[in-house]
Amino acid sequence: MSKILVALKRVVDANIRVRVKPDGSGVATEGVKMSINPFDEIALEEALRIKEKGAAAEVVVASVGPDDAQQQLRTGLAMGADRAIHVRADQPIEPLAVARVLLKLIEREQPKIVLLGKQAIDDDNNQTGQMLAALWNRPQATFASKVELSGDTARVSREVDTGLETIEIDLPAVITTDLRLNEPRYVKLPEIMKAKKKPLETLALDELGVDITPQFKVLNYAPPPARQKGIMVKDVAELVATLKQRGLL
Amino acid sequence: MAIRASILDELRRIVGPAGYLDQPSDIEPYTIDHRRLYRGATPLVLRPQSTEEVSRILRLCNEERIGVVPIGGNTSYCGGATPSADGNQIVVSLARMRRIRSIDPDNFTLIAEAGCVLQEVQEAAAAVDRLFPLSLGSEGSCQLGGNLSTNAGGTAVLRYGMMRDLVLGLEVVLPDGRIWDGLSQLRKDNTGYDLRNLFIGAEGTLGIITAASCKLFSRPRELITAFAAVADPSAAVTLLSRLRAATGDAVSTFELIPRFGLDLVIRHVPGTSDPFDEAHSWYVLTEVSSARTDSELREIIERELFAAIENGTVRDAVIAQNEAQREAFWRLRESIPEGQRLEGASIKHDISVPTSALPRFIEEASAMLNSLVPDARILPYGHLGDGNLHFNLSVPVGGDAAQFMARAGQIHSAMYDLVARYGGSFSAEHGIGQLKRTELARYKHPVALEVMRAIKQTLDPNGIMNPGKVL
Ligand SMILES: Cc1cc2nc3c(=O)[nH]c(=O)nc-3n(C[C@H](O)[C@H](O)[C@H](O)COP(=O)(O)OP(=O)(O)OC[C@H]3O[C@@H](n4cnc5c(N)ncnc54)[C@H](O)[C@@H]3O)c2cc1C
Repeated sequence: MSKILVALKRVVDANIRVRVKPDGSGVATEGVKMSINPFDEIALEEALRIKEKGAAAEVVVASVGPDDAQQQLRTGLAMGADRAIHVRADQPIEPLAVARVLLKLIEREQPKIVLLGKQAIDDDNNQTGQMLAALWNRPQATFASKVELSGDTARVSREVDTGLETIEIDLPAVITTDLRLNEPRYVKLPEIMKAKKKPLETLALDELGVDITPQFKVLNYAPPPARQKGIMVKDVAELVATLKQRGLL
Repeated sequence: MAIRASILDELRRIVGPAGYLDQPSDIEPYTIDHRRLYRGATPLVLRPQSTEEVSRILRLCNEERIGVVPIGGNTSYCGGATPSADGNQIVVSLARMRRIRSIDPDNFTLIAEAGCVLQEVQEAAAAVDRLFPLSLGSEGSCQLGGNLSTNAGGTAVLRYGMMRDLVLGLEVVLPDGRIWDGLSQLRKDNTGYDLRNLFIGAEGTLGIITAASCKLFSRPRELITAFAAVADPSAAVTLLSRLRAATGDAVSTFELIPRFGLDLVIRHVPGTSDPFDEAHSWYVLTEVSSARTDSELREIIERELFAAIENGTVRDAVIAQNEAQREAFWRLRESIPEGQRLEGASIKHDISVPTSALPRFIEEASAMLNSLVPDARILPYGHLGDGNLHFNLSVPVGGDAAQFMARAGQIHSAMYDLVARYGGSFSAEHGIGQLKRTELARYKHPVALEVMRAIKQTLDPNGIMNPGKVL
């Protein structure tokens, strides 16, 4: 029976306020809580639900990143994935390179579906899924808020500006997930213990023979301008007067 | 006797035009307590900007024998900051004294003014990579001065202690207007009586605290939050002991929640859900932290919880994998008061007994309460790690609220008598205010009461500070 490949990215936790390093070279991650990219977590949850319904036999999670990304893979295993593949990359790598790596994994694993988040919350690129579908030369359904499988097709609802669009695609295909697709499960302790024994394979980037040459150069990171401190007014009259004085009324 | 207009004018002059409120609609919020148990009255709310102004206010009020009620964020659970109903007391709000005066990361200290909102103090510490550990449900509105005056507790007492344990020095204006500059930043200073501890927990009856020097700690890097279903309170106590030993006392939070508490939250608070598929009788929320990043805490917690699952004391457990999940677990705990409020009338207790005695106490107290009000729904929840439970009752399903509340006095007495037999306290963290004065007179050791009165008499012979509270 068929397999689902899910891509997980290690990112700064969505609920942590990020700080830019003083020299503007990037975002500080030392001692900062890191988690699975929330959209990828939703992708994994969806894959697990598909498997639990009997429509897939195996869920494989994969991550391209530093050694610490194994923590997120272990979390993925504890959520219920069967196996994990870690492609070690210590340098930051761009969506196109990630798509190339995933294509190599597709060639090895032959999945029926590749599920991944519509974007990662760190760089907000929203590219990997689309690039992967192009390289793989298979259909894509992006921003999924509902996924229904029947045989060799998938019916996917997508959130678009004008409302909900429902499309049908042939499998194998790439599906990228939106926020409202599902609510990921909590990780139960017995599953955490089981996950420690599940297979986690590590591959080196050069083993895969993928070109990861950066296509663009980041010049600088800067924090958004700080919000100005509010002022306290004594009463409504003073509030109105102040707003008028500043030309806001 | 109503306060003379000329004195009110003089008070207004001390603080200047932006420093007072005297319109009924502006004053109203200062005359009702958070639980809406009391409604007071006052002609004037002063909002001084400096210690000097506070001093001049108290000197004048002392000369004129005018009662003064200090108020912080007005989140007191016992009407501590609400003036009397006769309108003869003035209210002094510290809200405009909210500067962080200094912060010294290498001394692990910070000096903040009394009107700083607790959250601002936490944020100031975090900005220099330090932790100010006091944490309560009301932290977005309560003030440092209120926390000091009530010796607030909260959810990290187990690891860091109560407010009292987090203070090195104070600046206080005495009832006669003298300013005591006791803003020590020393950890060692054995030079006579410890005055600071007199004002902490005094609920504004001995003077007005204007600033404090507080202890800071290393900011935790690793934070593990687990929500576990336990067999019973006794299993919870055993689990806590094991976690404390295994982590080297890194447990900062250990909260007990009965099924009824979780039910109330899920029923009434949007966006909450049961973390488990099956219902269990008791739960704990626990948090363990370390300033180290390479800490093996996670593995230790996983191992201990797993062992507890194997031996049956823990029925199931989930560990937060990200901040969103952590916040969801905390919301289950922190929404209990809200859930209980929305469920209808309730009778509340804030008691403590030694942690080891809690399981037996919960059993005995529950049986006793159910014999008094057979269908009352009992909700013992809270800071198990500190031996402190909020031992509440909700009105029986379909029961009459007024009839139920009419039993409050009898229920309190039965409860506090039982607490006393366990060597416990009838007010673990919320203080006395105007709500529990009878109990104080009844349960406090007579010698302690005499000494308290003597202290009050010495510092505030005219009885102007927060009259009608505590003693
Ligand atoms: C949702 C919620 C959760 C809570 N959780 C907890 C908890 O976990 N643990 C806990 O201990 N309490 C808790 N409380 C109770 C309350 O928040 C604390 O007692 C808090 O410390 C009070 O601070 P405040 O600034 O609101 O003080 P107020 O309510 O304004 O005043 C409290 C007392 O201190 C006096 N006072 C205030 N400022 C000064 C000053 N500068 N100098 C002298 N006296 C002063 C007042 O006269 C009054 O007697 C909770 C309250 C709420 C609403």
